[in-house]
Amino acid sequence: MTRRVYLDHNASTPVHPEVVAEMLPYFTEIYGNPSSIHAFGRDARDGVDHARERIARFLGASPQEVVFTSGGTESDNFAVKGLAWARGRGHLITSKVEHHAVLRTCQALEGFGFAVTYLRVDGHGMVDPDEVRRAIRPDTVAISIMHANSEVGTIQPIGEIGRLARERKIPLHVDAVQTFGKIPIDVDALGIDLLSFSGHKIYGPKGIAGLYVRKGTKMVSIQHGGEHERRRRAGTENVPGIVGLGKAVEVRARDMRAEAERLTALRTRFWEGVRARVPEVRLSGHPTERLPGTASFLFRHVESESIVLGLDLKGVGVSAGSACTAGNVEPSHVLAAMGVPLDWAMGAVRCSLGRSTTAEDIDYVVDCVEPIVKKLRQVLPVGAA
Amino acid sequence: MRYSATLLDHFLNPRNAGMMRDPDGTGEEEYEGCGDLTRFFVRVRDGRAVEIRFQTYGCGPTIAAASMASELARGRSVDDLCRLKAQDIEAALEGLPEDRKHAADVAAGALRAAALDALGKRG
Repeated sequence: MTRRVYLDHNASTPVHPEVVAEMLPYFTEIYGNPSSIHAFGRDARDGVDHARERIARFLGASPQEVVFTSGGTESDNFAVKGLAWARGRGHLITSKVEHHAVLRTCQALEGFGFAVTYLRVDGHGMVDPDEVRRAIRPDTVAISIMHANSEVGTIQPIGEIGRLARERKIPLHVDAVQTFGKIPIDVDALGIDLLSFSGHKIYGPKGIAGLYVRKGTKMVSIQHGGEHERRRRAGTENVPGIVGLGKAVEVRARDMRAEAERLTALRTRFWEGVRARVPEVRLSGHPTERLPGTASFLFRHVESESIVLGLDLKGVGVSAGSACTAGNVEPSHVLAAMGVPLDWAMGAVRCSLGRSTTAEDIDYVVDCVEPIVKKLRQVLPVGAA
Repeated sequence: MRYSATLLDHFLNPRNAGMMRDPDGTGEEEYEGCGDLTRFFVRVRDGRAVEIRFQTYGCGPTIAAASMASELARGRSVDDLCRLKAQDIEAALEGLPEDRKHAADVAAGALRAAALDALGKRG
């Protein structure tokens, strides 16, 4: 049987067995609606409250500041639209390397008359806090900068941006979907007013996420209905999901530091192995300020999907950094913003390591990569790409 | 849809990949916007393609389609190569997903260009 190696943890993760165990009773035994006042409802409410407390503790926040949502995309929409609409008009600052959940939300707001500045990044994918400072206008209503980029792993200087935002009294939203549960986050120390986080990137279930909203932040709901989540997000709570997210956070708080160290070592082994055996390859992203388990390779003159397919046939799951769909080539917007030349950007392959990744897995993948890239380069027309 | 075993085989083991010295015809086709590029070389004897070579830059299906086209083309008359359709290549690959249909278009276009080049040179 072919070995199977999953190196796409930035896309999603398997649910941790401890998380599954904690969720299970909430499907069949504790099934009440948390809004109901009877014991069935109260038991479910206890589960939700407990999860909220765990998450708040993890962020250095209070439980009232945690709102549950259906996913990172909803959290980002809620944060950006919620801040913008609460003010009605004005200017927003974001970066060119944000997740589409933020970028396209900002673009949508432009359609409603908001002005948006999309900050450039340097060659490592990093935003310059000075550029944030220069972009601030008297009518700036929100700043939204991601904590770490999912494609290249670069961690943004949120602390500095947070200080700036606080000086000017502009709310700062941080999409932390890729860092939450992977590196420590203290919302007060970093000056964060809103923070998006998600369950399935940290060995929790899919379909559950949240938004931290600092007390006193002026914002409006984007989903209306009942009185749930202190009237900030209507809809019956996804109780098993919330319980799972709470447990996932607890497990991460316990394991995160040791795992970050382990993954950093594995990533170094990975990069050294690939670099030693494959010519014309680079690692994208910041050399030091980066997510522990993310290794994004740029293979020059090779098309990334063909590498992904080649690895897939060897049982290895990685992600293509560029996608050619329906005749529309998309060298990742992140790499484009970083100024990566097309002949490198088209060969972007993102590998994201996780709990289950072993040194043997890494060595196996290195063994697979070398002949795949070599073969693809052999059929390449001279001067193509 | 998943890729067929035939397609994967041609991707992993491309037939007739590489360059050709002094070909009788060369031609290439690029898929606009996508960056996929395939180039064919043909050697013609008595009006037939006796040797075919290709080079390609593109996703897995694009490589497989070029490989399959090279097999379908060998031994055929040069006129016939001009008539080889993308659908023929796709059928031989046992199907392509909707968003990868261009793989067969690029292969057919490049092969046709090489055949026309050979016909032109023959005068």
